Formats: sequence, structure tokens, C-alpha cells
Amino acid sequence: MMSKLKKENKILAKLNDVFDITGEIKSEKRVSIKADRKNVSSILLFLKKQKGYIHLNHISCVDWIEENEFELVYIVWNPKTKITVLVHTRIDRENPVMENIDTIWDQANTYEREFREMFGIEFPGLVGAKEFILEDWDNIPPMRKDFNSQQYAKDTFTTRPGRENAQNVREAIQKRSGEEIPDFAKKYSRD
Amino acid sequence: MSKTNNIGIPTVEEIKQAQIDFSPRCTSAGRVNDKETQKMVDYILNFARKHSLFVLAYGTGCGAIEIPATMTSRYDAERFGIRGAATPRQADILLITGYLSTKTLKRVIRVYEQMQDPKYVIAFGSCTINGGMYFDSYNTIKALDRYLPVDVYIAGCMPRPESVIRGFVKLQELIQKGNAGNGECYRENLEWYRENQQKVIKNWDFPENYNW
Repeated sequence: MMSKLKKENKILAKLNDVFDITGEIKSEKRVSIKADRKNVSSILLFLKKQKGYIHLNHISCVDWIEENEFELVYIVWNPKTKITVLVHTRIDRENPVMENIDTIWDQANTYEREFREMFGIEFPGLVGAKEFILEDWDNIPPMRKDFNSQQYAKDTFTTRPGRENAQNVREAIQKRSGEEIPDFAKKYSRD
Repeated sequence: MSKTNNIGIPTVEEIKQAQIDFSPRCTSAGRVNDKETQKMVDYILNFARKHSLFVLAYGTGCGAIEIPATMTSRYDAERFGIRGAATPRQADILLITGYLSTKTLKRVIRVYEQMQDPKYVIAFGSCTINGGMYFDSYNTIKALDRYLPVDVYIAGCMPRPESVIRGFVKLQELIQKGNAGNGECYRENLEWYRENQQKVIKNWDFPENYNW
């Protein structure tokens, strides 16, 4: 097993040497690390310039509303070793500011403009930091979890009558076939 | 209406005097024909209209992916006289293919108002009917006929090319009966439509008056 994950171990050890991170090997060709937000841009620059992780796959944002934090995940890929590295970092939700990395990858600019609009994260020095996809938006950023999309839609748009008695699919199946709803699923119920 | 000869056909002078409006829903003020002749004229006009439906090549949402399949060799919509048009002013039909975000709605209204009469709107997919799977989305409208007059709704998510063609055939039937074409209705009830549109479109920068 260890010999199989030789390359993954190598990059993880190297990152551990240089930076203050915690990391694990998720699976073959998939390494996940957690870092402080101040180190992220230098980790990404290190991975790109020194280790050949030249491809930025994706940047995603997760809203951890209970912990009052946003999590940003930078996914980079090395075309030679075919290894993906996921760099996780947490930022404060009340005052969300993150380093701008569009000097490392130009295409990061698009992601950052989207985060700025959808989550309200500010990136100092971001080029084109203005209205991006939404037009004339005057509410809280819509991808935040405290934004109630259903209520907003109810208040803003006229809905056609007839949807009010729409059945909850899971409950309808339960009534018909006597299947039990697991506890974790109950909190996602429509009502 | 001035005097016509006994078979009901207007004289050349009468035609020249009157500005004949070909709109099927317009008031009879500009018409020079008597009832029976107008019926015949309408029949011919509607027959011609229903066999030359020019669809504006403008796709919103995911439903636009069904249009190439409808237009190309397998389903071949052109045998019904349905084909694409490049600009709003050359088009008869505005197809709303799927969900409509508020940002797109603004553009669609501008496009619809630029089209020449007679103009028809076909709404496509369940999103235009009641929001579909985007019923709780913050950015898509839920009922299209609040914002634009709709002639035919095609249900389905997505409707297959057969249903699309069925919708077009239904529109052809309506056109032949003279019941389609809501441009006049839109102009008459503009206040109601504008009120609904302005509820959704916050930064309203439309021209005050159109030269219809």
C-alpha cells in the first residue's frame, strides 16, 4: 500500500516540511491539506512553481454557518504525476477577507468575482470587482446559508396557485409502502 | 365604411384611402371590406401566416438544446414552415425555452417589444408554467404570463421534439382560427404588464414610450 502511494506521501512530506499544515492522503492520487489562510497563497505558489501543479481545477466555497466560518477549497492538479491536491482554509464569516490569487492563476479572477457576489467575500486588489452575474441585487448574498431562498421567492415572484399542496415525495412513499424515514433525513423535510 | 359594389369587393380608391391593418386582433376601423370578404381575406392571411412561422434564434435556459433536434433532419420542423430568423424584427415567434432569470427577462421583454405584429409567444417547459424545479430559486420568474402574453404552453422537462412540434401545430390551429397573436393585448394591458415587470426588474431603464 505504501509503495503504491509513494508520490502522494512525497508531496505531503514536502509540504509538511516547508509549511505549517495538517494533511492526509484521501485516496490514490488525491491529497488533502488544511492550512491557515495566510499561508494559502504561498502554498499555491510553491505547488505551481516548484512542484509542477500548474493546473487550477477549481475553487469552491462552503458556508459553515454553525462555526461562523467560510471554507475555501483550492483544487490543483499536476499533469505529470496526475495527483490532485486540495488546499482547505477557513476564514471568518463576519468579516470575510481572503488573499487575491489571480496573480498566480488568471482564471482565479472569475471564481473570486463569483465568491464576492454570491458569498460576500472580499478580495483586496481584485480586478473587475463589480456586478458580475446578479443584476441589481439588494439583499444579502444569495449563496449564504442564512439567505432564505424560498421565502425570498415567495415575496418577490408571483407563483401560480396549485403548488401549495404539492406532496413531499419522501412522505408520500412512506405512506404508501410503510418505509421508515431515517432521522437524519427528517430535518430536510419540506415542512 | 363607404359604399361597396354588390359583390362586396372594395374599389381601388377605397383600398388606397384606408390604411389596411393586417393585424388579426386589431379593431375593424381600418378595414374596408365587408364582413364576408374580410372573412375570406382573414382566411388567406391566416393560412399564409401559419405556414411561415419564423422563430427567433434566441435560447434561454436549458430547453434551447431541443431546438437543434427539432430543426434538423430527424424531426425536420421546416416541413411545417418553421424556421429560424436572425433578428427580432424578422421573427414571428418568440420561444422561451425553459427557466427565465430576472436578468434575462429584461432582455426578453426588450426583444418582444421590438418584434413586428403579428407576434406569438410559445413558452417551453415546466419552468415557464410554474417555476418547475426552480420553484424556490431567488433568481427565476415562476409564471411567464404575468410578464408577457403567452399563446401556447408546452409542458415537460424537457419537452421532446414531438411535443415541441405538437405545440407549434396547436399554434397553427389558433392562428387559422384567428385566436393567436397577443401583441394587441399586450399594448392594451401594458400597465398591468409593466407593473408586474417592474416588481421583478429593480433597475428599470426602459424607454418611456415605444413607437409601436
